[in-house]
Amino acid sequence: MRIVIAEDLLLLRDGLVRILTDTGHTVAAAVATAPELEEAVAEHRPDLSIVDVRLPPGFRDEGLRAALAIRRREPKTPILILSQYVERVYAAELLADGTGAVGYLLKDRVTALDEFLDAIDRVAAGGTAMDPEVVRQLFARNNRDQGVATLTAREREVLGLVAQGLSNSAICAELVLAPASVEKHISNILAKLDLPLADDTHRRVRAVLAYLNH
Amino acid sequence: MFHRGVRALAYLLTSLVLGPATFVWAVVTTLVSGVLSFTYLAPPTFLMVTWVTRWIARLERRRAALVLRKTIEAPYSPWPAGNPWVRGRALVREPATWRDLAWLLLLFPLGLAGALSGVVVAVVDLATIVAPVWLWSVPNPYLPPIVDWLFNTTGGRFVFTALGLALAPAAWWLVTGVASVQARVAAALLEPGPRLRLARRASELASTRRRVVDAQAAELRRIERDLHDGAQARIVAAGMTLALADRKMRLSGQPARDDVSTARRQLDEALAELRRLVRGIHPPILTDRGLAAALAALAGDAPLPVEIHAGDLGEPAPAVESAAYFVTAEALANTVKHAAATTCTITLTREADVLTVEIHDDGRGGADVSGSGLDGLRRRVEALDGTITVTSPVGGPTIVHTELPCAL
Repeated sequence: MRIVIAEDLLLLRDGLVRILTDTGHTVAAAVATAPELEEAVAEHRPDLSIVDVRLPPGFRDEGLRAALAIRRREPKTPILILSQYVERVYAAELLADGTGAVGYLLKDRVTALDEFLDAIDRVAAGGTAMDPEVVRQLFARNNRDQGVATLTAREREVLGLVAQGLSNSAICAELVLAPASVEKHISNILAKLDLPLADDTHRRVRAVLAYLNH
Repeated sequence: MFHRGVRALAYLLTSLVLGPATFVWAVVTTLVSGVLSFTYLAPPTFLMVTWVTRWIARLERRRAALVLRKTIEAPYSPWPAGNPWVRGRALVREPATWRDLAWLLLLFPLGLAGALSGVVVAVVDLATIVAPVWLWSVPNPYLPPIVDWLFNTTGGRFVFTALGLALAPAAWWLVTGVASVQARVAAALLEPGPRLRLARRASELASTRRRVVDAQAAELRRIERDLHDGAQARIVAAGMTLALADRKMRLSGQPARDDVSTARRQLDEALAELRRLVRGIHPPILTDRGLAAALAALAGDAPLPVEIHAGDLGEPAPAVESAAYFVTAEALANTVKHAAATTCTITLTREADVLTVEIHDDGRGGADVSGSGLDGLRRRVEALDGTITVTSPVGGPTIVHTELPCAL
């Protein structure tokens, strides 16, 4: 797929370009600042943009703000935020419009190549990719939640993977479970949290994240 | 308003009574000290006299404080030690000794003038107001008709009451004005002079600076240790694992998958460690979004409901923001750990150049106010010329109140 990258550190930008081209993707543009990102997205209309939160000139959260601005103008523009740190608030802002096609991962996750490539595909296809660290923060926040408290340890594990945006088959592979039992766990979880049953994975992820983030 | 007038009047009246006494005390003791100054009795006498004079000065400071409605600091150095001669010399050299004496002398004429103007005006005005009550007892025959009506009929006497009431604000203004002038002169003489104030400020700054330097050194040591034992060690371990993988691959020609994935895990752990460390030095969201947003994120992550009330905070200096953040983080952590609270409220306000942060929980109180975590924060806050107070009675609530000046 065609990808735009916004990352100010040359070393990381080159690393990303190399990984993506080596795995069969095309990097349409690799830029270093937020305004350049907005231009590049407008010009190339990529299948996915990979954006660092902290960009020049302010080195605050320009990247995230640019991403949100792009998605306000063009809803559902697929964007994957990469950062050295994760902040639950930022995840909430990315998820706020409820349209999907967003991801928020720690830069470290790039080294787990298969999972990273899987996340890219998911976001480009309109899905969600949340860092396990974000999910951990969400769980910590909901540790007194009535609904979450009724879940079994296994169901919590499954819920964590659902919240990261994984599909049923990916969850089966991760937990080495049969598809039927994963489906059963998921329907139990949705019932306990009083969430609507949805066949569509993306919509299910969004509901779960909205629940944990409320 | 009424109270202020009463206080002012009381001040002027007591000045009138105390003035002659302090004047006599000052003159007599100065003469006695002068006469005795060539004898061995001089030092003990002077010490005793000064001790009593300071006691009177303390009373005067308190009296003036009631009128000015602010505390008046004492200007003294610590009471000297050593033999009477050494002590006496130290007291003679202290300007405060002579300024006290000057006030005791000045109180007499000032008190007299104040009483003459202020007390007389007040008494006359009061007497005019209550004219119907007493004017009948003073017979005033042979007056021209209108004046006669004023003085010798009930209706006329109430005209005096109206007049007295009309003039009351002016009288009030005069009495409070005279009292406050007098109290201000007292304060000017009995307070620390500008030079002493600067000296005190300098020594205060020197001591806070020393504490800051210590705190900074301790903080750097902590970071060094965390890096050394944490991330650095893990990166070294990853390097060793990779070296091992390299060797295995050279010997067998087979890729050493296990070792490579171990190295990757070690690097992941190193990164997690670094993130944790960075968060403790300066949370990224504080850089990105400022104090209110960073605290809101902190509150959102807390396991109990935390309410945040933040006004317009402007843009405080980074050091101020960071101190406010860590004070709140520490207080919140303590609340979670010890207070068994059900709610917590964080209030942020900025008035002129002071940022105020207050953390209030409804827990069981009884916090250890001298705890080490709080001590570090206190140093950090004091370095910025701020103050931090913790009130935590047994049974709660616990309130951590911090004020940080923003203009540095």
